[in-house]
Amino acid sequence: MMKKLMIVIFLLTAFLQASVGFAASIKAEVNGMVCAFCAKGIEKKLNAMPEAKGAFVNLKRRIVVLELKEQQDVPLTTFEQVITDAGYTISKVQKVEQSIEAIKTEMKANP
Amino acid sequence: MKKQLFVASLLIVFSFPSYAAALMGFAGSSMLMTEIGEYNQELMVNYAPTVHHAFGVEVMRMSPKGSSATTMTGLNYTGLLKRWNLPAAQANIWVMGSIGEAKGQFNGFSYSPSIQFDYETTRLYFLAKTRMVRAPGMNNDVAAIQAGFSFFETDFDETQPWFVLEAKTTRNMQPSMQVTPALRLINKNYFLELGMTNPFNRGERAPRLNLMLTY
Repeated sequence: MMKKLMIVIFLLTAFLQASVGFAASIKAEVNGMVCAFCAKGIEKKLNAMPEAKGAFVNLKRRIVVLELKEQQDVPLTTFEQVITDAGYTISKVQKVEQSIEAIKTEMKANP
Repeated sequence: MKKQLFVASLLIVFSFPSYAAALMGFAGSSMLMTEIGEYNQELMVNYAPTVHHAFGVEVMRMSPKGSSATTMTGLNYTGLLKRWNLPAAQANIWVMGSIGEAKGQFNGFSYSPSIQFDYETTRLYFLAKTRMVRAPGMNNDVAAIQAGFSFFETDFDETQPWFVLEAKTTRNMQPSMQVTPALRLINKNYFLELGMTNPFNRGERAPRLNLMLTY
């Protein structure tokens, strides 16, 4: 009985985590991004994507994040093209299971 | 008076800075650049179909002290010849060129090719530029350098203040040497610079404003 209860609790917890979990984001380190005025195009183009929940640019850390809506995806090549069209170069790009808020919180915790 | 104010407002909004690190926006963007000062007023609006090329229109007015002004109106091309995207810096070589018509003290076909190098980090800035400004009987070639620093780093959504010092020489212009210390404010929506040309020379002292907007 106790074992079944534990399994139910585990499954319920997993379901709740999945249902309120963060949408995936694409996070990139970008070279040459030193000026907010010049990097405006990145934010504008990423926010215009229908799959985008939000975009975040941080000049000090040189990172750009595109947070995706639930069940949405963007090929990395499409993301990279936006950065390239804005005039910058990507040094590292990856998909992460973090929201923009979570990334901001993480950055504050590790200044 | 209202008409004069309207024209002055238009000049402030639509004149362009000769010397800024980014001479065009991102692919598919339009940029408006202005400079308004006592000796030089410029306007440029361009469209960048790619991040390497921009096409636009330009109006430039040279107003030497004690002489009549010449206004050049024409078409403009801006090309990004080379860009270095470094981990914490960016450097560029730009080429620009304008052809059009001069009116005023000098008249006729005008042309103005130029080349610019700039290097910028989030805290430091350097620029060197040379530009031919020619029309029949007119030679106002320009050479300029700028160097500056930001007072502190900012986030993407904040306004970053910079101190920038420019030294510019212009042939057959009075004053031929213009030194302009300026306060530059940059955020993601605008680039605004307020300076004072030759501040220690009472007879040549003149305010200068630069503004850039991208759409």
